[in-house]
Amino acid sequence: MQRLFSFFRRSLFLKVFSLAAFLSIILIYFVGSNVYGRISDGIVEEKISSSISQGRAAIQYAEYRFTIAGLNRNVDYTVIADEVVKSANISAEESGREVALFNAAGKKVAGIPSVSTSNFLKPEAIPSALREKIVASEELDWLPGNLEYVNGKVIPGIFIGKIIEIPRAGKYEMYVAYDFAAQQSNIDLIGRSLWGTGFLLIALILLTASIVLRLVIKPVQVAAEVAESLTAGDLQRRMAVKGEDEIARLGLAFNQMATTLANQISKLENLSRVQQRFVSDVSHELRTPLTTIRMASDVIHSARASFDPTIARSAELLLSQIEKFELLLQDLLEVSRFDAEAAVLSLDRVDIATLVRRCAEDFALLAEEKGTSLRLHGFELEILVDADPRRIERVIRNLITNAVDHSESRPVDINIAENESAVSIGIRDYGVGIAKQYWSRVFDRFWRADPSRSRIRGGTGLGLSIAKEDAVLHGGDIRVWGELGVGANFVLTIPKRVGVPISSIPLSEIPTTAE
Amino acid sequence: MTSIMVVDDDQDLAEMLGIVLNGVGMEVDLVSRGDEAVEIFRNSQPDLVLLDIMLPGTDGIEVCREIRKHSTRVPIVMLTAKSDTHDIVKGLEAGADDYMVKPFKPSELVARIRTRLRRAGGDINGNLTIGDLAIDIVEHTVSRGGKEIPLTRLEFDLLVALAKEPGRVFTREALLGEVWGYRHSTDTRLVNVHIQRLRAKIEHDAENPTIVLTVRGVGYKAGGSGARP
Repeated sequence: MQRLFSFFRRSLFLKVFSLAAFLSIILIYFVGSNVYGRISDGIVEEKISSSISQGRAAIQYAEYRFTIAGLNRNVDYTVIADEVVKSANISAEESGREVALFNAAGKKVAGIPSVSTSNFLKPEAIPSALREKIVASEELDWLPGNLEYVNGKVIPGIFIGKIIEIPRAGKYEMYVAYDFAAQQSNIDLIGRSLWGTGFLLIALILLTASIVLRLVIKPVQVAAEVAESLTAGDLQRRMAVKGEDEIARLGLAFNQMATTLANQISKLENLSRVQQRFVSDVSHELRTPLTTIRMASDVIHSARASFDPTIARSAELLLSQIEKFELLLQDLLEVSRFDAEAAVLSLDRVDIATLVRRCAEDFALLAEEKGTSLRLHGFELEILVDADPRRIERVIRNLITNAVDHSESRPVDINIAENESAVSIGIRDYGVGIAKQYWSRVFDRFWRADPSRSRIRGGTGLGLSIAKEDAVLHGGDIRVWGELGVGANFVLTIPKRVGVPISSIPLSEIPTTAE
Repeated sequence: MTSIMVVDDDQDLAEMLGIVLNGVGMEVDLVSRGDEAVEIFRNSQPDLVLLDIMLPGTDGIEVCREIRKHSTRVPIVMLTAKSDTHDIVKGLEAGADDYMVKPFKPSELVARIRTRLRRAGGDINGNLTIGDLAIDIVEHTVSRGGKEIPLTRLEFDLLVALAKEPGRVFTREALLGEVWGYRHSTDTRLVNVHIQRLRAKIEHDAENPTIVLTVRGVGYKAGGSGARP
């Protein structure tokens, strides 16, 4: 049911088709029943009025015959009564007419039976309401009713009745009944043909609707399909355009849109290529002279013992600044690579626990110099992940450097945790800390929490920004928590397998001891 | 005296390289054009080539390929101004053994050159076998069924490192330390590319290696010495 509904919701064809079917069925039902009603009413009314006038004539004729016969004093009405009832009978073969004669007083007088009917019509079939009315008014009256026969046959029809005066015999009720059998069969025939016509019409309407729909929907389907493949990146796909109708115009407009889109994209791609090219050119042009400078300064530096103290100091400054410049250049190029979206992962399956542990070991000496220590938690097991080890190492080194720099000689905790989809590494210090309003800003390029402390350390100001980009490139993220004077916690989380999204983060950046 | 051929179009850098390398007792040949490099290489037969990638005339990658045609033995270290994966892998695939990204520390360059010139397996007596290959440490050759397989020095070093300790699983980092002399590096591209090149030369079917095996998620190890055809 659910599936049917969703299919219905997604298919324009089915929607329009069933709407057309619904509306045409309703329309044809109403028109059909209206026409049927009118025709059958007309036929019945016609029959009723003709029956009344025929009935009136038949009764008058019977009255007339009784009157004529009555002129003979010694008349026996038996034959006439029989004839009146039977004469009605003869023509009744064709017109469906029956006659009934009742003695109002209920007794047999002068050879006329008190009750006589034609063709085994049950005398009780004459509606008693009509009989009462006639007896009361003695005038001609009529009432529709069923012609019931002794053999059980029942046919709808009309009864016309009147009191007739028979000389010396008294008052008799005479009824003429006409059945509607012929009319009913006509009405039935009309009904059947109306049904047939209705079905045919509905079928035709639906056939037309489906042909029209197919004509209109097919191009829309093609357009949707082409649009989907454009979205998927196939910018060369176009719609086939035939003729000059609205569908063709849709196709033309669609194709124009696709062309414009493709041009825009190739323009942007071109721009990005120019940018990448520029970055790579700058890289080459700057790096070669820098290498020469670097080597020259190294040679000078290693010979500084033989220099005058001021020149020796200058040689030291020269070298350290060149080193800083190198780092800055390296970071800048990395950032431009991210901007140009030229950064690609070089993936390997690596044990990230070992990788982090080794980074921490490398920093042990530096940490000691700063009067702090690195404490590892949860590094007993290996954790294999698909990652670019060069980048992950860069992130970890960066976060550790950062933590050590801001540790205020208190220890730094390095935690690792995993779940089925992701691994997190948290680097927690108990030093300077970061105020909440700066949490999101720490990843901004060249952002410094406290401008006065700015360049005490050698950092380029791009480290955290690059770290964040590296994490995002892996499909992961770095989250930060901090509080002034309490410390900070940076948590790197990356998925274990490329393309498999992180279901939940194994390690929260908010320390359990805080708040 | 060790002779180094430096191919770089930047005269000043080349001269500076000369000063530094002369300072540690190496002799330097300077070449500034790619198209001259191969000719000079054939005449002077240097012990090692330092090769810039971006060169006028023939580019460094092409020069590298040409030099490899003449000598499988000579170590080639690329000097590159780019750290983009693409260029480095292309250079390694063309036959370079190692690379240095400019700007580099002179001491690092010297260390790298010395590693490349060191003879592998110097600590081993006799010969080694790996799979159905025989490694002659003294002659520095690898042969299968008496037929020598020409390997570069680096490929030889790599094979010896694995064959020395059959069964041990080497992480890529361990191989970087053992063969390239990096104390600390995670640039596993070097290992991956060279393992591939080595397999192409020594395996019966490089797609289904039996001599240098991959241990998924960890690294590589030597295949069982029981020779399989």
